[in-house]
Amino acid sequence: MTDRSTKSAKVAASLRRRHAAERRFRLYGMGAVAFALACLGLLFFTVVSKGYTAFQQTYVKLPIYFDAGDIDPKNSGDPKVWAKANYQGMAKKSLRGLFPDVKKRRDKRALYKLASSGAAYELRAIVRENPDLVGTTTDVWVTADDDVDMFIKGYIRGDVAENERRISNKEMAWIEALVADGRLEKRFNTTFFSAGDSREPELAGVWGAAAGSFFTLLVTLALAFPIGVAAAIYLEEFAPKNKLTQVIEININNLAAVPSIVFGLLGLAVFLNFIGMPRSAPLVGGVVLALMTLPTIIIAGRAAIKSVPPSIREAALGLGASRSQVVFHHVLPLAMPGVLTGTIIGMAQALGETAPLLMIGMVAFIVDIPGGFTDPATVLPVQIYLWADSPERAFVERTSAAIMVLLGFLIMMNLTAVWLRKKFERRW
Amino acid sequence: MGKADDVTVLLLMVILLGLSAWAFHSGRRQALVLSNGRARTLHSLPEYYGFYLALCCATPALGGFVVWAVFEQQIIEWFTIAAISPGVRLDDPAKLDLLLNDIRNLANGNIISRAVDPDLQAAADYYLGLRDLSFVALAAGMLALSGAGVVLGWVNLKPAFRARAWVEHFVHFVMIGCSVIAVLTTFGIVMSLLFESLRFFQMVSPIEFFFGLEWSPQTALRDDQVASSGRFGAVPLFAGTLLISLIAMCIAAPVGLMAAIYMAEYAPVRLRAVAKPMLEILAGIPTVVYGFFAALTVAPLFREWGAAGGFLISSESALAAGIVMGIMIIPFVSSLSDDVITAVPHSLRDGSFGLGATKSETIRKVVIPAALPGIVGGLLLAMSRAIGETMIVVMAAGLAANLTANPFQAVTTVTVQIVTLLIGDQEFDSAKTLAAFALGLLLFCTTLVLNVIALYVVNKYRERYD
Amino acid sequence: MHKRTLMLATLAAFTFGDHAIARDQIRIVGSSTVYPFATTVAEQFGKSTGFKTPVVESTGSGGGLKLFCSGVGVEHPDITNASRRIKKSEVEKCHKNGVTSVTEIKVGYDGIVMANSKASAVMTITRKQIFLALAKDVPGPDGKLIANPNKTWRDVDANLPNVKIEVLGPPPTSGTRDAFAELALEGGCKKFPAIKAMKKKNKKSYKAVCHSIREDGAYVEAGENDVLIVRKLEANPNAFGVFGYSFLDQNSDKVQGSLIEGKKPTFENIAEGAYPVSRPLYFYVKNAHVGSVPGIKEYLAEFTADKAWGEEGYLTDKGLIPMPEAERNKFKTDAAAFNNLSM
Repeated sequence: MTDRSTKSAKVAASLRRRHAAERRFRLYGMGAVAFALACLGLLFFTVVSKGYTAFQQTYVKLPIYFDAGDIDPKNSGDPKVWAKANYQGMAKKSLRGLFPDVKKRRDKRALYKLASSGAAYELRAIVRENPDLVGTTTDVWVTADDDVDMFIKGYIRGDVAENERRISNKEMAWIEALVADGRLEKRFNTTFFSAGDSREPELAGVWGAAAGSFFTLLVTLALAFPIGVAAAIYLEEFAPKNKLTQVIEININNLAAVPSIVFGLLGLAVFLNFIGMPRSAPLVGGVVLALMTLPTIIIAGRAAIKSVPPSIREAALGLGASRSQVVFHHVLPLAMPGVLTGTIIGMAQALGETAPLLMIGMVAFIVDIPGGFTDPATVLPVQIYLWADSPERAFVERTSAAIMVLLGFLIMMNLTAVWLRKKFERRW
Repeated sequence: MGKADDVTVLLLMVILLGLSAWAFHSGRRQALVLSNGRARTLHSLPEYYGFYLALCCATPALGGFVVWAVFEQQIIEWFTIAAISPGVRLDDPAKLDLLLNDIRNLANGNIISRAVDPDLQAAADYYLGLRDLSFVALAAGMLALSGAGVVLGWVNLKPAFRARAWVEHFVHFVMIGCSVIAVLTTFGIVMSLLFESLRFFQMVSPIEFFFGLEWSPQTALRDDQVASSGRFGAVPLFAGTLLISLIAMCIAAPVGLMAAIYMAEYAPVRLRAVAKPMLEILAGIPTVVYGFFAALTVAPLFREWGAAGGFLISSESALAAGIVMGIMIIPFVSSLSDDVITAVPHSLRDGSFGLGATKSETIRKVVIPAALPGIVGGLLLAMSRAIGETMIVVMAAGLAANLTANPFQAVTTVTVQIVTLLIGDQEFDSAKTLAAFALGLLLFCTTLVLNVIALYVVNKYRERYD
Repeated sequence: MHKRTLMLATLAAFTFGDHAIARDQIRIVGSSTVYPFATTVAEQFGKSTGFKTPVVESTGSGGGLKLFCSGVGVEHPDITNASRRIKKSEVEKCHKNGVTSVTEIKVGYDGIVMANSKASAVMTITRKQIFLALAKDVPGPDGKLIANPNKTWRDVDANLPNVKIEVLGPPPTSGTRDAFAELALEGGCKKFPAIKAMKKKNKKSYKAVCHSIREDGAYVEAGENDVLIVRKLEANPNAFGVFGYSFLDQNSDKVQGSLIEGKKPTFENIAEGAYPVSRPLYFYVKNAHVGSVPGIKEYLAEFTADKAWGEEGYLTDKGLIPMPEAERNKFKTDAAAFNNLSM
């Protein structure tokens, strides 16, 4: 009896131990999933918390006297003459008017720096649109300098020693006076969504990079989609089972795992140096990215075609259709949602890719919005890389904001893919 | 190519498209006419006759265009050189090239490097004339070719003509061509890397490159400059790459594997439905974002922790880059492992349960060993991904080629060096630039070997239970 | 040729052969020190005129001049920035490649600073000590040249801190490197009478001694990217970095400049010439491109306007130290007339 009870006690103990191990193991698994999700959360939190402030920008309201004598001394009425006037001077004069007791040269220069150097162009645009303003004094909202912006947003703290911050006590006093006057406020940052790159953080925007991404992806799509789908159809439906097909298949699988930077080297050696295509052009970027995404599209396309049940093919063949008719009239339309999903995922990959583009001259300072396939351009991820390397404090929040824009696009594309899959998914 | 030329070419293409549409239409009609309205007597559906004629129209013209695009420049230049008056002519090929460049630019209304003398102007005018002529010839040639194609096709147009077979064959060949592009890409990669690497190995001995312990790729640019002698030993780079990849795998392998096990075996359906796509998002985030995260969030954090703990952690430590890279490849490991774990047949599990094993025991002792080759393959694939990853290390790891195993120090990687050697550099004759290609080749080969092994193992394993 | 044709045939479907592409914006390459100034001017120029904004790439002075001198035509850059003067060998290379007419424009001055993190003490150093710390070969106890044995700053001079010598500096493509070797190292090297005597006898070996920087790890080549150097200094309080004054100015909240020969690297000291390690910045314009690439003339006008490079111009905000007015006027006339450079 005792023997049995000790045995059952042993079993019970070992069972307890085994169950504890079971719970531990399960906990490890949950921990792993939780860790991965926590990383995702932390990443998003970092980006959003650093970047959301960039969607607002500090503006300063200046009473500007649009001096007719300055703008159009000869009364010519010619917009070209107007465009050349010294608008910077008007902004400076206005600031002097707001703080008449600033006398020293050095102080004056600090005062002028409250408004962005882009203010002059904003004033010019205002005059161009409302010629009636010439000769009047009007309150105008112009962009404030990035240091002022950083101070207002709390990134430059006022409570540290003066020589350790980029805003002096005097400047702080001016800013406070302006705020008290209601002349300084944060507004929605339209520049960020409409401008190209700039040396001044407050004038920099993502539109140029977004346009570059658009042109690049257009080239990628135009090449990768038809070629990828054709290759997928051939390999899945027509290819004879021979050595050549095997080589192609192995090759495609390998190509999908080749580091992206190697495609950049290919682009540099073949497209730029060998063929002599222009540097920094979306055309070259698009071709390189197309070669890179091709395997993804082919593999996804093949999977989609494979999932169409053979019964459909047999039925069509039984009715007298040819192999091509079967494929193009029946299999391909049914596989299309899957093919499109794969294409979108491939495009999303291309949109986020940076490394190969560094090799083909897309890391340059490009202000103008590209308007074609051979204009110098940069793309969103490269812009993020460039800004992340810039010394100005204000570029940190803009980098994060650019990441948010990029992630927004990516999530949109992925959701489209998921939606497509859900909507057209068929269980055979 | 100038904008005007682009427009001309575009116009030609539109015309060709229109012609092909017309050919399709008339081919289909003609087929019906030939069959006297009894479509049954035709071999193929009338559309196929239309497609056939449209292809007859478009293909020769497009072929002609490709030939023109490849040879036009060369032929025109050849003619121009032959026609240049001896006064301007130069025998030195380099100078001749420059002269041609001037002529081209002068003709484009561009920049030129010398005073425009009448001879040069004449040559440019001649060149321009030839270019105009070549465009006329292109247009005429394309029209003639498509016309000839249509006429030849028309002759064949009989009710017994096997139009469908013909069209299908054509499409077939186009598809083969598309599949071969992937092979051509690989070929292009190997060729471009190989040629530049060979040039590099003419300057630097392969022994130094493969076994040298010092990497400082800076060489003098001018004869009268005193610069570093340039050392091209790639060992520190590979050591650095390996160190960072290993750190990444230390994070990704356990977390990814456990996550996969949990998702496959334990997770309730609802959690799985939410967590799986979330993990996939982690895989879809651009690497530049991870780089930003590593450089601006993780690295300073580690530095502060290190400072608080009293030891020095470099702000470009291998640790920060490695950990962030590990986070990036978690989804790779988990989704690949998930696949192999779910592929293990249920009978194995049931057998284990039947013997009284708990779930975790079954997993550890039965499922994992059965899935092991597949998991190893997945890990190898993830490792290859880590080795080739660029942006995270470019932004978060250093440039200093330290040969160290200390994860708190800065190391550099192969990809970082490729990027630094090539950014902004457009010259192709220095060992420094060519070294990037040699590194690229080495990287390509390393990842290729890993991939081949991994894909082989994964595929082999997947088939075993099917 | 055959290979080329073959490759072209496969790619001709999406490129129409290698035609020279007409370019309608300026392309600028060159020094990373001049880069912030060039980009600022480029941006102002693009916004205030109807021209397209120039595309600026940072390649280092040496790399930039190499590209610049590689020929005339749309595929070659129009302007290169340099943080040192063009060398005779480079002018010859330019000539050989058909770049015969080049306008030289001095932008202003820039000091080269040796800076460290604000977390540690400011260093006071002489050029002779810099030479002893960083040269490849230094005179030994018996006056003969030996491989540099100094490991810590204390080894160089008993007054210096007992810290490992670790200096992050630019690579040979950089003009900052050339200027640093010329001004700081050679400046210190000349203080040794034995080496100075060598200058007359054998100029080449004199140069080799004075310009060679040690390669045993004490001097770390840190690439063209100055931002990275600053970031590394922040991380490692014992390390020193070598870069332009404009960068020190932008990052004055993180790093501090060492005093050289007792002079602090400040705007005033450099402008007056009191700070010993300061050099002029230049850019070079390919005259053959003027009038064909649109906007070069206007770009120069923007750069040489007082509102840009003057005493109160916007470039001083970016850390440029302007030239005296007479010098500015000279280069302004040069720029307007495209005077060919004479060495």
